[in-house]
Amino acid sequence: MALNRLFIANRGEIAVRILRTAKRLGLETVIGVSEADRESMGAEMADRAVVLGPAPSAKSYLDERLIVHAAKMTGCDALHPGYGFLSEKAKLASLCEEEGIVFVGPRPETIDMLGDKLSARTMALQAGVQTVPGTDHVATIADAKHAAEQLGYPVVMKASAGGGGRGMFMARSAEELDISFEHASREAENAFGDNRLYMERFVERARHVEVQIVGDGEGTIVHFGERDCTVQRRYQKLIEEATSTALPIRLRRKLHEAAIRITSFAKYRNAGTVEFLYDVDREDFYFIEVNSRIQVEHPVSEEVTGEDLIARQLNVAAGQGIGLSQADVHFRGHAIECRINAEDPFNNFMPAPGRITAWTPPSGEGIRLDTHARMGYLVPPFYDSMIGKLIAKGRDRSEAIERILKAIRDFRLEGPNTTLPLLSFVATHTDFRENRITTRWLEDKGLPDFSKA
Amino acid sequence: MTENEKKMTAVVKPEDIESLIELFEASDWDEMHLEIEGLELFLSSDPKARIAAQPQHPTATHASASAHAHATTPQGMGHLAPPPTPAKEVSSAPEGCIAVNAPNLGTFYRAPKPGAASYVELGQSVTADMEICLIEVMKLFTSVRAGTAGVIREICVDDAEMVEYGQTLFYIEPA
Repeated sequence: MALNRLFIANRGEIAVRILRTAKRLGLETVIGVSEADRESMGAEMADRAVVLGPAPSAKSYLDERLIVHAAKMTGCDALHPGYGFLSEKAKLASLCEEEGIVFVGPRPETIDMLGDKLSARTMALQAGVQTVPGTDHVATIADAKHAAEQLGYPVVMKASAGGGGRGMFMARSAEELDISFEHASREAENAFGDNRLYMERFVERARHVEVQIVGDGEGTIVHFGERDCTVQRRYQKLIEEATSTALPIRLRRKLHEAAIRITSFAKYRNAGTVEFLYDVDREDFYFIEVNSRIQVEHPVSEEVTGEDLIARQLNVAAGQGIGLSQADVHFRGHAIECRINAEDPFNNFMPAPGRITAWTPPSGEGIRLDTHARMGYLVPPFYDSMIGKLIAKGRDRSEAIERILKAIRDFRLEGPNTTLPLLSFVATHTDFRENRITTRWLEDKGLPDFSKA
Repeated sequence: MTENEKKMTAVVKPEDIESLIELFEASDWDEMHLEIEGLELFLSSDPKARIAAQPQHPTATHASASAHAHATTPQGMGHLAPPPTPAKEVSSAPEGCIAVNAPNLGTFYRAPKPGAASYVELGQSVTADMEICLIEVMKLFTSVRAGTAGVIREICVDDAEMVEYGQTLFYIEPA
């Protein structure tokens, strides 16, 4: 079944990205926009743009009934949700199913199962993939010491009823564990009225690695390699790379296999990402979660494989399978992506919406820019602050770094404050260049150094 | 601290908000707080004030669902016509008439059910609270009221056609 007309239920750079591939493949396109985006690049590129509702997302991009109604009434046979907004809401996928519109993504049941952390974790264990080692409830200090010896120090005591960092106490030795256990029990009791504790191994130096996969929904999975997204601030990624040069080669293969095991077990359909935490000291990785959508950072995987992941998504959605096998996926070079956000890195990342008054993007060998912005564009205050993604590819990591650095410096962008100065600072920092970073690096070292510079 | 509260009866467009922001930036005011029919705008030159204001103002502005009129996008495929200018929109309205706009995207129905008589006909007098059409979204029907007492001077959309948010459905000449 070939697709004819695609509805794009998103905005910003990802709408433009989806439209580019859809047009190349000869699909007709309709985009649903909010009032604030009626003159956006996506609205111009699409064959037709319909205004769903006013600027606030709740009345436009987050209303699945409006979106499916618009898709149906404009004669679309498929719907691409992009990322964010409703992309991981099973309700949108099931509403599409009910209306006979192909949802470009996983089945609603899969989205639900993977969206719940506990059920995803259980599934990973069933598929034979390890999560962060830990215990069930630990009742006494003697039990705790025994468990800590099994897991290896440092460990962290956590309150069963806890969350948000409360009721968590780290211990590096048996002596510290005495104190931590006591503190954790007391805080658990005081804060949550439930003194039950459990223990997890504490990963002191962690990196974020993830595997891009595409599944056919029948259990066949092709991976497109791993990405390293260790440069983060408050769990928000700033810089992403493919492949990960921090990971030993023997582990890369194991990581890909683990991602395939989990998603094959789930008979995963369409594009997805399996996220892992990599323990630098133990040289081991643990499953975190599956993101059941195309991700912001997908271009770095495209750059090193020469693949168009949106085209693969549409292929699967059309019922034509993934369209290639693992042996067809080859990796060449290294790619780095920087997220350019309209945020002020000198002022605690304050959102900085406003009009772009100067716009001369960089160009050159290996440079790609995914964006919906242009000269005169007003970054609206209603949505996330991303203006675009700058991507550089090189033969190896150091060439990719040189290219991205030059591109960042060449980028003439005036009007809103952006993260460009910070991105340039990170790309010149020795820790980043030598790849001696962890997920804590930006907040603990990078940002303090940046504010001193 | 300067606080300017303005009462405006005019409708607010994104360009108006931009102009307000530009005005504010050019001024020496510290803060500006503006509320117009479901829209609330809070501007401050102090970043801390913006943070403090956030809990009360989850988004910077709340545009009202009936905020403004715009020209219809033609049904069927084809390239999107260039966005109409506000001046054009105003001039397309019959003289002295008030537009009734779609509160959201949906399917426009002139009658309460298939085969039934239309809610209103051309030239008919209506009261402000009279239902004049239905907008359907996934089998959920919302009735639209006239909002103004007067005479129906134009019915802009065919029955069972899709309408977009803000699209003009009727023109009413106030009594």
